[in-house]
Amino acid sequence: MALGGSSALHIQSSTISSAPAVPRTPSSITIHPVALFSILDHYLRRTDDQPRVIGTLLGTRSPDNTQIHVRSSFAVLHSENDEQVAVDMEYHRTMYELHSRVTPKETIVGWYSTGSNLNTYSALIQNFYSQETAPHQAIHVALNTGAEEGEEAGVQAYVSSPVGVFPKPENCIFVPVPVRLQFHDAERAGLDLLTQTALSPNSTTAQPVTSIANLDTALNTVMQMLERVLAYVRQVLAGEVEGDKALGRYLMDTLGVAAIGEKGGEDMAFNASLQDTLMISYLANLVRSQAEVSSRLALVTS
Amino acid sequence: MAATSMAAALAASLPAPTAAPTPVAPTYEAIPASMSKVIDIEAEIPLQVVQLDGLVVTKILKHAREASSATVHGLLLGLDLDGTLEVSNSFALPHHVSDEDEKSAKSSARYQSSMLRSLREVQADDSVVGFYQATTLGAFFNQNLVEIQAIHQDKLRHGGVVIVHDLSLTARGNASFRAFRLTPSFLNAYKKCNFSTSSLVNHRLTFSSILEEIPLQVRINPLLGSFLGSLTKSTPSLLPDATPESATVSVLPPSFSALDLGTTGLTRNLEQIIEAVDNYRTEEGNLAYLSRQIARERARADNYVAKRKEENLARVAQDLAPLPEEDVARLFKIPAEPSRLESMLLLGQIDAYGKSLEGTASSGLIKMYSVKAAST
Repeated sequence: MALGGSSALHIQSSTISSAPAVPRTPSSITIHPVALFSILDHYLRRTDDQPRVIGTLLGTRSPDNTQIHVRSSFAVLHSENDEQVAVDMEYHRTMYELHSRVTPKETIVGWYSTGSNLNTYSALIQNFYSQETAPHQAIHVALNTGAEEGEEAGVQAYVSSPVGVFPKPENCIFVPVPVRLQFHDAERAGLDLLTQTALSPNSTTAQPVTSIANLDTALNTVMQMLERVLAYVRQVLAGEVEGDKALGRYLMDTLGVAAIGEKGGEDMAFNASLQDTLMISYLANLVRSQAEVSSRLALVTS
Repeated sequence: MAATSMAAALAASLPAPTAAPTPVAPTYEAIPASMSKVIDIEAEIPLQVVQLDGLVVTKILKHAREASSATVHGLLLGLDLDGTLEVSNSFALPHHVSDEDEKSAKSSARYQSSMLRSLREVQADDSVVGFYQATTLGAFFNQNLVEIQAIHQDKLRHGGVVIVHDLSLTARGNASFRAFRLTPSFLNAYKKCNFSTSSLVNHRLTFSSILEEIPLQVRINPLLGSFLGSLTKSTPSLLPDATPESATVSVLPPSFSALDLGTTGLTRNLEQIIEAVDNYRTEEGNLAYLSRQIARERARADNYVAKRKEENLARVAQDLAPLPEEDVARLFKIPAEPSRLESMLLLGQIDAYGKSLEGTASSGLIKMYSVKAAST
């Protein structure tokens, strides 16, 4: 699930730790969707004269410091013009303090900006954040919103390294690092909901969806896919299109799984499970009607 | 409160500011309290639908999953316009160790106000419109929810809403969000702190009439929509001889978690029902004990009054001055009738657990039959 371009440098960290005092360079970064969505929201709410917005990324580091998990982000005020760049440090500190009260595990790992141009100001801000995350390295996530013409939406992550004989804060090289989207399985359903919403007309969906309705959509999708496969197989059999051998093998492997198993044992297991499920359904209804009766009885007066 | 949100509502309804620079920055004066009722037109329009932004959906999901405690709370920010309550942002509230603690309540208030101030600085919505709560297996009825919501109902316009998110449903592939607010009849009884039997009868209160559901919509803005579009877009793999399952690469491949056949959480659900029923039994036992005590005290008082009356009759017959009868209330302390709120909420919980069990069972049946159909 690589988010960024394939040009990212995949750093193979050496297993020999010669100098434990110097933390290792992060070699992979994962981002939680909520961090990305907060950045997009911040971008939407920018003032007209702001070409880009920046903010702080919060997250956790793996024990050996090679992986960084970006868990959330918040907006930080900043202003930049031709002469200078200013970041509201006090605001950044306040927000970090507020965030750490709810999620104490998350620490500052770096900063984000929208758009994908890296300039001197980026280096300066990077320098500032490196002080915040010391002794660890700060990461920079550049999110291209795709709102400007000719640019594609995407996420890039960088670590910085000083450049020049005398390292100056305004000079540095941004080294790309592979970045992936990561979330817990339980959150998957929420993202599915959002992608469904994005596809629906006028970008809204009514809630709550019952699990039955949800199941219905999933089953319908599966049926459509089966029909597509069936149509393809028929076409191949009729000689209309040339069959793909790899695809045929794959289909055989997938559909072959279902056929394995004894007939009798399966039926017995099915019946046993059916009885259990019906029993649970009966119990649930019983409990609910008892609760209803009990609440009505409370209203009865002699 | 009303004054600031009105200003925000007005600002939102205005067309986007044009490029022409405004000569003089307008000055805002606080609307006097006497006028705010008249000016606040939005408060007159009844709330029809709650619109939840995609960002809030992910924020609630993340907070609910990561939180250590069973119930998590957070505040919802947004504004209401023309009957639609737009929830555009949210933030999590720190978990209290002890609710009674004066100090923690104060620090929580400080946390809220400084968070709101900070959010205002980056042009985010900063008016509180309600709160959210995460729960498991649909049982969101508890004293805490009712208390917070009752406070909000007084302070916020439209009384605020509570958005309930069910974690266990989400784990099963159906992200569920529902919006509620307290019904007027419940609020009426709550304000009087009176949940005796007669009050329940008067207000026709059962657990199902504590909260009323408001329709909820999930909305995502076009920018987020296009971004999600590019995340779910599948691109052909770069590898030349990729197997069919890895031929296309997508950041967010489609999932079919709704078709998962496992029935995890079913035992937990049954356990929860038993626990709730046990709690309810204890509560009912307490209520019965108290009402017996009341009946006993009342009988003793009645006895005493009757005796005194008899005595007085006898004294009148003997031409003596009758003894006073007023000190009955002082002699016998009849306890107040117990509150039935807790038992009502417990019943609501039992009902919710039953409902979620029913949902699991019915979708389980469908899955079983579809598997049977697929395997034959």
